[in-house]
Order: sequence, then C-alpha cells, then structure tokens
Amino acid sequence: MLVLTRKENESIMIGNDIEVKVLDLRDNQVKLGIIAPRSIAVHRQEVYQAIQEENAQAAVPANLEDISNILSK
Amino acid sequence: MFLDTTRFGKIEIDVDTVITFTQPIIGFPQYRRFVLLPGPDNSSLHWLQSTESGEMAFLLMNPHLYVPDYKVELNTHDMNELAVETASDLEVFTLLVVPADPSQIRTNLKAPLVINTRQRLGKQIVLEMSDYPIQFYLSRHMQEARERKEAINARTDT
Repeated sequence: MLVLTRKENESIMIGNDIEVKVLDLRDNQVKLGIIAPRSIAVHRQEVYQAIQEENAQAAVPANLEDISNILSK
Repeated sequence: MFLDTTRFGKIEIDVDTVITFTQPIIGFPQYRRFVLLPGPDNSSLHWLQSTESGEMAFLLMNPHLYVPDYKVELNTHDMNELAVETASDLEVFTLLVVPADPSQIRTNLKAPLVINTRQRLGKQIVLEMSDYPIQFYLSRHMQEARERKEAINARTDT
C-alpha cells in the first residue's frame, strides 16, 4: 500500500484525471472531495462491499414456494 | 440459440433478446449477457438468466409494487452508457434475495438494475445519495401495510 501524508486542502492525483482532495479534518473525520470522470464509479467501500455480498445472496434463490405468497396480491 | 440451464433445462432463446450489461452486476464480473424470463408461477417476478452460465440466474422484482414512489435518478453518463433516448425505454428491477426463512425475503433498493429494453443494455446502478436500504424486507412491509389498513378500519368503526 502506498502511504502519503496530506494536509487540509492538499490532494493526490490518481492517473491523469482522478483527484482526491482533503477538504476538512475534524472530530476524527476526514472529508474528501473526489474529482473524477463520470465513467468512474465512486462508492463508500462498506456500501460497495454490502452490495456485493447481497448480490451474491441474490444469485442463490432457494425458497421459491414462499415467493408467490409474498408477491401475489 | 439453445441454453442449458439449471432451473429451466434446455431452453431456446432468441439472440435478439439478449441483454448486455455495460458494467457487471457488482461481484460478478464474468457475466455480462442475460435474458429476461418469466418468474415463478403466479408471481410478478422475472428471472435474469445468464447466457454464459446455465447456473447463473437472479430473481428480479418491480420495486414499485412495494415502494410506489421508488425513484431512480440516472446521471448523463449512465444515460449515454445505456443509450437512452426516452425514459420509456427504461425498466427498473431490483434483485430479490430468497432464503429458506420467508421472513428474510428481501430486495435491494440501493442498487437496482436498470435495463434499456429497446437497446438491450443494462447496468446495476448504486444510488449513492439515497437512503434506500440494501436489505428491504418484504414481509415486514407487507405487515406494515396490513396494519395501516387495519388501523384505518378500526378508526372508521368507532
């Protein structure tokens, strides 16, 4: 892992068109600004991971009998 | 073309109905091509069957059945990527998780699948700015809807 030390209002460049800037530092939190092309999806890591895990669950539908009960009206 | 599937046996599909995902469903980079098939009997569901693996299929639902005001906002990049000309080209589905315990049946409102049915292009969109849950439990909300209705009835009775 590459480790860089940055102060408030300093940033790093990833490749030619992605910039990550430290906007604010307080109360044990860091606020980051990300400038990237729209084609680059930016997610909070824990959200991305939770979606990945939920997708994996969705790939193994098990109990098809109860579905009709819940989704028919 | 013919497809050997785990759930439906050998089925014939029209090549023109194959949907290409411009980005993979998160966690499944190896599958990009799917077809939509009717879901289990008496349900309003769809199967999203991979044409690259007979075992790979997701159950999809129309989220509006449970969340009538469910809203997906696409940015211009997504619109271009999905070659959207008019909003009516788009269909929105959410992935169903169906474990053995029916109370755990849920759908992911945070990351819907958006499909351009005309151009046959699809993508999973993460609604990063929304409060929609990744795990929206259907049974819980079915009960809520029922309780609301009962409360209203009780009030009108007295």
